[in-house]
Amino acid sequence: MAVIRTEKLCKVYNPDTIPVHALRDVSIEIQKGEFTSLVGPSGSGKTTLLNMLGALDMPSSGKSWIGDVEVTSLTDKERINFRLHNIGFVFQHYNLIPVFTAKENVSFIMLLQGVDPKTISERADELLEQVGLGDRKDSRPSQLSGGQQQRVAVARALASEPQFILADEPTANLDTKAAMNLLDLMQKMNEEQKVTFVFSTHDQRVISRARRVITLVDGALYSDKEQEPKIVLEPK
Amino acid sequence: MTIYLKLAWRSIWRNKRRTLITISALVFAVIVSVLMQSLNRGSHELIIENMTHLQTGFVQIQDYRFQDEPSLDNSFFFDESLEKEWLAIDDRIQWVLPRIETFMLAAIDGSTRGALVFGVEVEKEQNFNQLKDRLAEGEFFRKDEYAVVISTGFSERTNLGVGDTLALIGQGRFAMSASGLFTVRGIIDHPLPDMNSQTIYMPLPVAQELLSADQMVSSVLIGLETDRHTQSVADALKNGISDEELAVFTWPELIPELLELLEFDLVGAYLMSYILYIVIAFGFFGTILTMTLERIKEFGILISVGMGRGRLAITLFLEVLVISILGVLVGAAGAWLLLYYFYLNPIELTGQLAETVIDMGWEPVLPMSFAPDQFYSQGIIVFFIAMVISIYPIYKIFSLDVIKASRV
Ligand SMILES: Nc1ncnc2c1ncn2[C@@H]1O[C@H](COP(=O)(O)OP(=O)(O)OP(=O)(O)O)[C@@H](O)[C@H]1O
Ligand SMILES: [Mg+2]
Repeated sequence: MAVIRTEKLCKVYNPDTIPVHALRDVSIEIQKGEFTSLVGPSGSGKTTLLNMLGALDMPSSGKSWIGDVEVTSLTDKERINFRLHNIGFVFQHYNLIPVFTAKENVSFIMLLQGVDPKTISERADELLEQVGLGDRKDSRPSQLSGGQQQRVAVARALASEPQFILADEPTANLDTKAAMNLLDLMQKMNEEQKVTFVFSTHDQRVISRARRVITLVDGALYSDKEQEPKIVLEPK
Repeated sequence: MTIYLKLAWRSIWRNKRRTLITISALVFAVIVSVLMQSLNRGSHELIIENMTHLQTGFVQIQDYRFQDEPSLDNSFFFDESLEKEWLAIDDRIQWVLPRIETFMLAAIDGSTRGALVFGVEVEKEQNFNQLKDRLAEGEFFRKDEYAVVISTGFSERTNLGVGDTLALIGQGRFAMSASGLFTVRGIIDHPLPDMNSQTIYMPLPVAQELLSADQMVSSVLIGLETDRHTQSVADALKNGISDEELAVFTWPELIPELLELLEFDLVGAYLMSYILYIVIAFGFFGTILTMTLERIKEFGILISVGMGRGRLAITLFLEVLVISILGVLVGAAGAWLLLYYFYLNPIELTGQLAETVIDMGWEPVLPMSFAPDQFYSQGIIVFFIAMVISIYPIYKIFSLDVIKASRV
């Protein structure tokens, strides 16, 4: 079964004044273990679509499912709880709680889930180790570089053991080296742990790392291609 | 819960200076309010202390008709065996003070002045209210002599001094005429200004004889170690006294007007502190407002990743609460220390004011109250402010549009 499935998603902003058709009849399916990139020119609806996939926003029409749950029929409260247990998020910037350390940021999600403290601590350590920040556990976000912050965000997204991770332009604020490092990490998680990733990007080098590329133009599905990722994981 | 508290605590200190300013403002409000109240109440406590000791007793026993018609006709029989009986009713009863009182005219050099005449047992009074220590001049009379001690105010009004003779004219029990000549043995400072202008003390048996009221008293004052027991002792006496013609009153029942007046006198202090609190509440609200608005994006992220709005609202409420609690605790501690300092080093009055106060028989210091409810009430006010202020961030959380918030 598909992890994500959408059926004719439409999103119209300002329907009463000057309507903006941000999504037009988008129907896609994403399978478990995919490494998908969402591309398209600015304003093409990437963020809007990711918000729908992440149950953050409701479409104007159409439906979407995560696993066998029709998220478009859930209430605001149900969606928050659903996100907590099923979806990992990596945003473009300002991902982390500034007053919490890296470890606390990763632990926080599990605390909300009600995981027992001992497991939380062990798992947070393990995740930070995996993203290469085993030695920066007690640093606050302001003491970390942009790339390091995004790695913590990936660790946090993984912490809740979600069905998939959504990332909206996760590399947009990073320099090339940090961006490639982050991509390496995501790719490694995808290959070794079969973590499903859907990320949007403008960056050609990032696009080339994806296995599947979905292109949006003007809110509509333009193309959907499989490709062989260009740069394979290089050991650090 | 701890994680919310941790998040709240860290968020509060995100902008240390702003939070410290907010807390300082609360501390200031608490200290000023407590001090204002303490000064006010301190003088009230002094009045009440004097009232209960010199005028009403903590509990008072009267003929049931006396309250409405305070005449000698409504006096009652009292002797030592009755005193023993009452003392036995409750062992918290320390002193039993029989008094007879009436209004008489004092004739001096062809003119007359009104006076309140009390027949008292001096040794018993001394034990309860240190009446003898209040002598300004002269000494107290013996138990059975036709002699009086007059208050300083009365002495000034009449130009009577120690050794002078005074004629008292009035009416005894059942309209018997009552008059006699008395030697002024001493002059006393009565701390209640009203009483100081017109009080005359004489020996109880002498007054009873003068007023044709042998063995009769108008009231019996009950002296206790502390006001805490007033009500329960009054209840015990009500049950214990078999004579149905006798009524038992607590001191607040005897002077309701005075208590109302004192309560009214506090309104000014309350009003001042409310205004102060309103001003400070606005500052507090400003802090919370900015603390909320500058984190809208963070709230958006938190809700996005799955933190329920309720949980987030709890955290924000905790932030407001923690700031208020810090303000109240530090403020109360500061106020307490200040009060304690003033207790050790009383504020001395000087000049004209001091003289007036000394003339009234009071110590020339500003009395302060340590009543604990002054502190609680500040806590309640600040908690109330916190509740009102936290409405805003909580409202903000529940109405937050996650998508918009993350776009900011
Ligand atoms: N809240 C909103 N109100 C009105 N219009 C909106 C809103 N959000 C997005 N839009 C419009 O919807 C369209 C799609 O926007 P979206 O942010 O999804 O594009 P995008 O592909 O993510 O662009 P970018 O690459 O610049 O991030 C745009 O035309 C945008 O102006
Ligand atoms: Mg976008």
